[in-house]
Amino acid sequence: MAGRGKLIAVIGDEDTVTGFLLGGIGELNKNRKPNFLVVEKDTSITEIEETFKSFLARNDIAIILINQFIAEMIRHAIDAHMQSIPAVLEIPSKEHPYDASKDSILRRAKGMFSAEDFR
Amino acid sequence: MGVLREEDSCLLLDEKLLYFMDQLELLEGKRKTLNSLIEQGWFSISKARYSMGNKQVSALQFANEMEPLVSVHVRTLENDEVEFCAVRSSRKCNDKFVKEPTSIEDIGPQEEGIRRRRNTKSDVAEKKTSEDISSEKAPEVNPGRKRDHNPQQDPLKWFGILVPQSLKQAQSSFKQVIELSAEIAALQIVVLNARQELKHDLRNNDGSTGLNTSARLNEKEADVLSANESL
Repeated sequence: MAGRGKLIAVIGDEDTVTGFLLGGIGELNKNRKPNFLVVEKDTSITEIEETFKSFLARNDIAIILINQFIAEMIRHAIDAHMQSIPAVLEIPSKEHPYDASKDSILRRAKGMFSAEDFR
Repeated sequence: MGVLREEDSCLLLDEKLLYFMDQLELLEGKRKTLNSLIEQGWFSISKARYSMGNKQVSALQFANEMEPLVSVHVRTLENDEVEFCAVRSSRKCNDKFVKEPTSIEDIGPQEEGIRRRRNTKSDVAEKKTSEDISSEKAPEVNPGRKRDHNPQQDPLKWFGILVPQSLKQAQSSFKQVIELSAEIAALQIVVLNARQELKHDLRNNDGSTGLNTSARLNEKEADVLSANESL
């Protein structure tokens, strides 16, 4: 299918965002909002949540990468997102290693299997 | 017949469960690779920061304008699965920018030639006219003039002309991370769909096995009763 591809958005700490921008995913011009957010110590949870929701609302973003410790701050918003696109990927941060038990997708996938499911 | 159907449905369930487990294992394997590549990237960025200076590798260096070099092509398949394909833009766009700066180079030396003359009022007026000309030409030149602020340029150039090898290694790591992210995004959807299907089939199977067992119990009770009567 011809046409412009979609973007990858990133919400993370400075090093994470720097790395992904080095990789070439960044978009920033006068007309459009950036597809990344650098979360610092003084970044409010409201701002993070609003940015996440704005990324979800955009139809030109296919994947949202978010540090897991930031995802924990807005877990309710991430859990509420049930659509396939954009896909949300939780990634580790320097100070918080990745924990599979906290990942929204894996928790849904493992779905709290009960013993009754296998009878 | 009922028993055969039950066996078939159980076999089908087993296959789906194994498929789900395989996909989950694949997903966890790719996640592990992704996490280690990200950590590698951070380490390289830290090394670059150590050699270049703390403020030289930070958000302050981000360009004012940037265009994505990677795009993700999304395709929804028939079975509700989604395919993500990360495509890095070719250098064709950069070639356009390479061609257009020749027009800048044409103008540049002329301006320099004018500017090198003695700084009189007439020269100032000439400069103004040349600036007017260049501003008129700006719409044509700007895309190329953005060589300094070229949105399509390699992001490494934001950090200087000569960057340490560690920063290039960081870029390479994160490029791999980006490609892997697309694969993981697709796998996540596969895993979730498989889980959903399995749950649905388990519920259906419970319903049908429930009916079969109760029918068998009834048959057994009837057999026992008839045996007792005959006695």
